[in-house]
Amino acid sequence: MAVAEPYVGQPLGRGLATRVRIRQIRVVGRRASTVDLLAVGAFAVVVLVAIVTPAVAPHSPIVPVGIPFMAPGHGGFLLGSDEVGQDILSRVLFGLRSSLAAAGAVIASGVVIGGLIGLVAGAAGGWVDDALMRFTDIFLAMPGPVLAIAVVAALGPSFVHTLIGVSIVWWPFYARIVRAEARALASRPHIEAARLAGVGPLRRAWRHILPGAVPAVLVTASLDVGNLIVTLASLSFLGLGAPAPAPELGAMAARGLQYLLQEWWVPVMPALVVFLVAFLANLAGDGVRDLMGDR
Amino acid sequence: MIKLVVKRVVSMVAILLVLSATIFLLQKLSRTDPVHAYLGANASKAAIARESHILGYDRPLVDQYFHYVKGVLTGNLGNSLRTRRGVATDLGAYLPATVELTLFGLFLAVVLGGLLGLASAGRWRGAAAFRLIMVSGASAPAFLLALLGILLFFNRLHWLPATNDTAYNNAPTGPTGILVVDTLVHGQLAMWIDAWKHLILPGLCVALGPAVSIGRVLRTSLVTTMRSDYVRTARSKGLTERAVLLRHTLRNSLNSALSMTGLQAGLMFAGVVVIETVFAWPGIGLYTDQSIPAADFPAIGGVTLVLGVGYVVINTLVDVLQAVADPRLSLA
Repeated sequence: MAVAEPYVGQPLGRGLATRVRIRQIRVVGRRASTVDLLAVGAFAVVVLVAIVTPAVAPHSPIVPVGIPFMAPGHGGFLLGSDEVGQDILSRVLFGLRSSLAAAGAVIASGVVIGGLIGLVAGAAGGWVDDALMRFTDIFLAMPGPVLAIAVVAALGPSFVHTLIGVSIVWWPFYARIVRAEARALASRPHIEAARLAGVGPLRRAWRHILPGAVPAVLVTASLDVGNLIVTLASLSFLGLGAPAPAPELGAMAARGLQYLLQEWWVPVMPALVVFLVAFLANLAGDGVRDLMGDR
Repeated sequence: MIKLVVKRVVSMVAILLVLSATIFLLQKLSRTDPVHAYLGANASKAAIARESHILGYDRPLVDQYFHYVKGVLTGNLGNSLRTRRGVATDLGAYLPATVELTLFGLFLAVVLGGLLGLASAGRWRGAAAFRLIMVSGASAPAFLLALLGILLFFNRLHWLPATNDTAYNNAPTGPTGILVVDTLVHGQLAMWIDAWKHLILPGLCVALGPAVSIGRVLRTSLVTTMRSDYVRTARSKGLTERAVLLRHTLRNSLNSALSMTGLQAGLMFAGVVVIETVFAWPGIGLYTDQSIPAADFPAIGGVTLVLGVGYVVINTLVDVLQAVADPRLSLA
């Protein structure tokens, strides 16, 4: 997108010339801009911080360590302290960690379940494809986030149940994408050649079709991280995540809501962290898409 | 066209059946035994067995499902474990406020999304900045917008109220339950203005995320359409860029923006639940939020069903609208 845009809306002559140039650039893939690289780098730093959180967090996330309701920067609390005197910085760091882990887990399960269904459908074709995709479409046609709320509510609020609930509504996207890639690949000559060479259907799907679907899945997954962080935080906000005093960003914001007008930092800090992480994840997702080429 | 409508309606019914089956199974999976919870902890085994029999919980699962669907079709969604009333009665009381907020939010999302898409697709200097605005909008959780909105417009500027949907105790409750309509019907101008004031902030919070998604898709699709030959022809005729964009490009680019609007409605419903919680908006989101700690699954299942039906109906409408925008679709 970034490369093609300069041409849009330009006068006719220059437009045509640019279009030719665009085609040439496209052949070798799209340029990655500095912004893309910076975004991917920044998100990598966030992931690194999440990994080393237990070592770098100044305090325990669940033990009160000071005076309640200290404003950010006061009493040794960089982001302030909450209603029982816990360090908000330590809590959001641990919250960030569980948020990223949760997003990763949902994406992984989405890729595995959706990928398997999509691969089977795309590689097999015929009635198997029809049946599996009808099934997928029905799931796609239901309101995912709302259904996730119902699943978690039925199983009982907990971190793992949230992962299950969101995973159940998240895989259809991946099934669609993998199926589309697999379908396109299945009709290509190298698959035909593999079949004639006596390669069985399982090996064909695994060794010859699946690798071709990896880039598209990677791009989708990287664009998904930001979405998932926001969705998971919303479920946690509704009280569907781990019970108190677990440091979850959404739940922290929800429990801090009553202090909003006097001690604004208690609910706002965790909400801001959700935004920042999702923002970086989205920028990095765009970056990955640009780095991988137009998909 | 008629064929398309029929096809869409048939698939809508199929989806709703699966949705109801899912909710039914979740109800069975949920760890609270509704009969036990309803009769209380001290109920005798015999009383529980008797009530279970009356409610049909001792019959085969498939039987129970058909019973459930029959109940849903006749407006019986079971009893809430928390409020002890019928879930359908509860929803009747809470739903209008949600309909009001959702319709207003959807309207805002479409308008803002359209403006964002058109503004960022146009050829002007500020267009690049829109990418950043859009990515920010897509990353902001609804509750952050609500918190910041309350701090700014309520706490600091005192422009807008932050809780409930009206400041009046004697606000009209009928005939529609939608306050901005009811107050007008009763000729209460002050209450009407007050209702709008209460609606703006939650409406914006609900709409912003979907607006950004709609804007992004519309922009991509506008940019693609702008490359087509007929647009070049239009330009070469000497039409202004504005006329090209609004009269020639927009309609052909609406398709994907429309389907995005439909998809975003699902996300918006989840947003509405969160936003109603923050603003104490008396809708089914607040009802859900109160039902979650009480493990009141009949209530949550009822809400899921209602929102699910809303979502499926909206998306069926979107499909038909797409065919209106692009008549080629109805030939397929």
